[in-house]
Amino acid sequence: MIELHNLSCSFKNKQLLTNITQSIPKHISILGANGSGKSTLAKAICNLVKYDGEITIMGEEITTLSLKDRAKMLSYIPAKLEIHDPYISVYEFVLQGRFPYKQSYSNYSYKDNEITKQTLEFLKISHLENISVSSLSSGEQQLVLIAQALTQQSKIIIFDEPTANLDPHNSKLIAEHIKGLKEYHQIILITHDLHLACYIDSPVLFLKDKQLSYYEKEFFDDDVLQKLYGVNFHSMALQYD
Amino acid sequence: MIKIFIWVSLVSIVLLSPFIGATSLNLNAILDTNSLDNTIFFDLRLPRVIFAFCAGVILSLSGLLFQTLFRNPLMTPYTLGISSGAVLGAGIAIKLGLGTLFFGVAAISLFGFLGAMLTLLLLIYLSQFLESSKHESLLLLGIALSLFYTSALMIVFYMGSAVQNDTLIRFTMGSLSIISWESPLFLGFIALLLTLSIYLFRYELQLLSISDEQASLKGVDTKKVTLTLLTVASLGIGILVSISGPIGFIGLIVPHIVAKIYPSTVNFRIIKTALFGGFFLVLCDTLTRVIQTQSELPIGIVTALIGGPFFIYLIITRAQNVKH
Repeated sequence: MIELHNLSCSFKNKQLLTNITQSIPKHISILGANGSGKSTLAKAICNLVKYDGEITIMGEEITTLSLKDRAKMLSYIPAKLEIHDPYISVYEFVLQGRFPYKQSYSNYSYKDNEITKQTLEFLKISHLENISVSSLSSGEQQLVLIAQALTQQSKIIIFDEPTANLDPHNSKLIAEHIKGLKEYHQIILITHDLHLACYIDSPVLFLKDKQLSYYEKEFFDDDVLQKLYGVNFHSMALQYD
Repeated sequence: MIKIFIWVSLVSIVLLSPFIGATSLNLNAILDTNSLDNTIFFDLRLPRVIFAFCAGVILSLSGLLFQTLFRNPLMTPYTLGISSGAVLGAGIAIKLGLGTLFFGVAAISLFGFLGAMLTLLLLIYLSQFLESSKHESLLLLGIALSLFYTSALMIVFYMGSAVQNDTLIRFTMGSLSIISWESPLFLGFIALLLTLSIYLFRYELQLLSISDEQASLKGVDTKKVTLTLLTVASLGIGILVSISGPIGFIGLIVPHIVAKIYPSTVNFRIIKTALFGGFFLVLCDTLTRVIQTQSELPIGIVTALIGGPFFIYLIITRAQNVKH
């Protein structure tokens, strides 16, 4: 449950969002043109960029939450992992999802390790556990990021263009995982991928001219899409199967 | 097997080190409390070996810390000018002839620490104005600061008397010749403080070595952790440099060698880097005592002679990695 109140935000001195007030009660997909500020909006919700106005998660203003408490409520999955550590293994990386639960200065607990193992098994990536994260393919990296978000056990998971770097096969695999996660998590999906948005089947917030507009299923009608993107669509082609 | 060999040889060198030097010591004479050998062993060689060990710990750990936080193997207190800042601070204290104590701390140490700390704050302040490829520019800033400090130190030389300048020149070469138990004990305390602080934040560092964003998303207060650790490291460097003068390249070489031997995340390398750094500097110091010259070879020169080519090697291998 996220509430945006009078939210304004800029990136590189360019105003991208102006006075947005919007309630995000459940799953949502956020779409919009390149540079319209979708990622900035996601980063504002994670408090990674500065903003004016208010963002509350389950009634609490995010800047007043402790960083660990915020991490327990919210995880963010980037399109591509920026990773500077050449040595960290998949297992160690996924275990880091337990950091907000770990006691300060101590090691990760037995329980943290158990949760990590179960998550790797659940996503069928146990065979990767000793491989270094930096050597994984984009598709495997997305899976590992999802695994980390799952060990983090946060209610809300934000996906920032999860299929941007993936081939059609991996896109479908990730799409299925995201859809499965809707049962226990609130999924906020930021994407350009209309296939994906259509398959995930959440209401849509379309970001245009620094404002959000809300759509339900009618978003995927040919004429609505044409009006928003200025391109002709045949929405039948948006189905995966 | 190679690992065991490396550690065993390092430890044996450290154990043998107090027996090696210009005067060869007789084992029986050492145990005789009235002999000269006893004095040389317990009042000169032993404190010196301990001092060198602690200095190695501080230099290599602060190197590891800077490399991790800035995510660049070329970033160390030495290459970023923090060491030069401490040299300038201590140089000014020598020039002013400050022998007094402030709150029980020698003026030179205090000035050395201030020089290191002010440089760190200046770097943090200036880094706000750097855009993308931020860390490369930070390195350039460090080099610019080092050059500036060297010139400032020249002015101190220019104004100094011949006697002061002799002390200053000796100081800027870096030396581990200490003559009391005070410095090693004090430095031992600082080395322990630094090791402990870095170890306590080992998992924060593991997250920070991926990216600031990852660390922040997992609940690490990145600014607080970074500032705390950089301050403790600058404290260590400032105090060490004010006693021994600058000893370059240890912070660059040691973390790199340890990472080659143990290719693992940073949390597993903290204690190993500290120990290896301590042993390694004792080895370098033993070399200065073995190589016979008219007077003792300054340690800073030995580490720079090893470190210079190594630095070039690192830059070249990095450039090749980027290409592929």
